[in-house]
Amino acid sequence: MRRELFFWISVSCGIMIMAFIILPLIQLLTSPSLGMLKESIQDSDVMRSIWLSIYTAGAAALISFFLGTPLAYLLARSDFRGKRLVESIIDLPIAIPHPVIGIAILSVAGKNYWIGQILSGLGIRIMGSVTGIITVLTFVGLPFYLNAAKTGFEAISPRLEKVSRSLGASMFSTFFRITFPLAWRSMLIGIIMCSARAISEFGAVVIVAYHPMIAPVMIYERFEAYGLKYSQPVAVWLVSISLLLFLLLRILTLRNRSEI
Amino acid sequence: MKIKKLLNPTMLILLSIFMAGIICHQDEALAGEPSGKVIIFNAGSLTIPLAKMEKQFEAKYPKVDVLREAAGSQKCARKIVDLKKPCDIMASADYKVIDKLLIPNYADWNIRFATNQLVLCYTDKSKYAGEINDKNWYEILRRDGVIWGHSDPNLDPCGYRALMVLQLAERYYSIAGLYDKTIANRPKENIRPKSVELVSLLQTGNMDYAWEYLSVAVQHGLKYILLPGEINLGNYQFDEFYSQAVVKVTGKKPGTFMDMKGGSVTYGVTLVKNAPNAKAAIAFLEYMLNPQGGLKVLKDMGQPPFVPCRVPTESMKASLPEPLKNLVEVKD
Repeated sequence: MRRELFFWISVSCGIMIMAFIILPLIQLLTSPSLGMLKESIQDSDVMRSIWLSIYTAGAAALISFFLGTPLAYLLARSDFRGKRLVESIIDLPIAIPHPVIGIAILSVAGKNYWIGQILSGLGIRIMGSVTGIITVLTFVGLPFYLNAAKTGFEAISPRLEKVSRSLGASMFSTFFRITFPLAWRSMLIGIIMCSARAISEFGAVVIVAYHPMIAPVMIYERFEAYGLKYSQPVAVWLVSISLLLFLLLRILTLRNRSEI
Repeated sequence: MKIKKLLNPTMLILLSIFMAGIICHQDEALAGEPSGKVIIFNAGSLTIPLAKMEKQFEAKYPKVDVLREAAGSQKCARKIVDLKKPCDIMASADYKVIDKLLIPNYADWNIRFATNQLVLCYTDKSKYAGEINDKNWYEILRRDGVIWGHSDPNLDPCGYRALMVLQLAERYYSIAGLYDKTIANRPKENIRPKSVELVSLLQTGNMDYAWEYLSVAVQHGLKYILLPGEINLGNYQFDEFYSQAVVKVTGKKPGTFMDMKGGSVTYGVTLVKNAPNAKAAIAFLEYMLNPQGGLKVLKDMGQPPFVPCRVPTESMKASLPEPLKNLVEVKD
C-alpha cells in the first residue's frame, strides 16, 4: 500500500512539473501563424540578432572554458584557507539581479573609473558593443561552467594522477593525458550550461548594449514597438534554434560515451 | 498529540485575529474612505515627482497603497491595450498617446496637466564640458570622440522629440545639414529604450551628452544646456514652428513607418475604463491635479504644470468624474 501511494505521488508531481515547463512553451511555439514565422525568418534583422546571440553566448562559454578550467581544477584538488569564500564569490553572479550586473559593469567601464580609462585608452568600448555583450554573458555564465567542471574533476581519483606523476610525467602532461580525457564530458556539460545561461540573458545586456541587438533584446523591442504578435515569432525561432543546438551537443556526448 | 494540543489554542487566537481583521476591513470600506491599491502606469520622466506625490497622498489616505509602474509612454498604453493588465491611472509624457491608443475603448477623457522641454544634459566629466554653451552645442556634438545619445524614437516620445530639436535647430540657426552631420556622429549603439536610462550612462562616464526633459535633468542633478523656446518644444505658442519637424518612426508592423510631427511637450493623464479601484484613483487624481497638491510637486521639481489643468472640449469636461470638474478649464 505504502509504496503504491509513494509511487503515485511521485508520478503526479512529475506530470505537474512537466506540464508546468512544457505547456507555456507549447503555447508560445504554436501561437504565431506559419506565415508570420516565415516572414520573420526572412527578416535579416531577426536572423542577425539570433546569430549574434549564439555567437556571443558561444564566445562567453569558450572564455569560461579557457579561464575557468585551471581554477575549477584548483578548487577540486586543493584545500586552502578561504576556499569557501572563493566558492561563494564564484556563485555571486547567479544571485545578483540582472540589471544590477549591467549597471555594475558599466560603472567599471566608464570614464570615471580607472579600468574604464585604461579601456578607452586602448580603444576598447564596452557600452553598446559586442565586447560589452560578451563581457556580460561571461559574467553570468561563468559560475555554471566552473561548478560543472569542478564536479567533474572531483569525481576523478587523485590516485590516477599520482601514478602518472610517479612515473615521471610533468603536471602539464598528467593533466592533458590523464585528467582531461576523463573529465572532458563534465567540461562539455559545463560549456552547454554556460552558453544556455548566456543565451537567455536579457536584463544585464539591455543596460550595457541595446544595439547591437541580441535576440532577447529584439524580442523586447518588438513587443514594445509592435506588440505581442510580432515578438512571438522571434521568440519561437530563438527557442527552436537553441534547443536544436543543445540537443545536438547532448547527442554528440552521449554517442561518445557508448564508444568508450 | 502534544503538538496538536499546543496548536489548537494558538490556531484559535490566530483565527480570531484574522476574523477581526476581516470585520475591521469591511467597516472601513463601508465608512467610505478610499482604500486599497491604486495602480498607475506612468511615463519614465514622471517617476520622481509621482514618488513624492505617492508619499504625500498616502500620508493623507493611509489605507490606500499607490503602486507605480514606469515605462515609456507607448509601452504603458501597450500594457493596457495588448496585455490587458489591470490599471487605474495612466499618465503619459505625450497626451497624444492617450488620444491615439486609449480613447475611446480604454478611456473617456484626457486631461493635460503639465509641460516640459528638451535640454542637453552632461556632467563635469563630459568631454568639452568646460566649453559647451547654448551657442556651440551642435558644433560640439559633431566633434570626434564625443559620445552623445538619445532614447529610441520608436519606443519613447523623448527620443523622437530629441531628433525634432535637431531638425528645428537646423532651421532656427539656418545651418544647412546640421541635422545630418550631427546624427552622423551618433552611432546606433548610443540609443537606449527610454531616456531615463541615459542618465546612468552619463553618471558612470560611458556617455558625454544626452537629451532629456528639463525635469529629469533637475531631478537627477545633471548639468544642462537650455535651448531657445523656438526649438526646445516647451512652449505651445511655437507649435506652428515645431510642426515643421517631422520624424519617421516605426509603424504598426516591422518594416512600416509613420511620420511624427513636432509639437509642444504636453503631458496627459486619464482614468482607465473598468479601473479596478476607481474610487481611490479619483481621490488620487483630485490630489494630483490640485495646484496645492501634485501640481506643486511638479513645479518644485522643474516641470511647469498647467494651472488649472486643461481639457479640449466642454463635452469632455462634462464626462469627468464630479470631483475633477472644478480642477480643469476648457482650452484647446
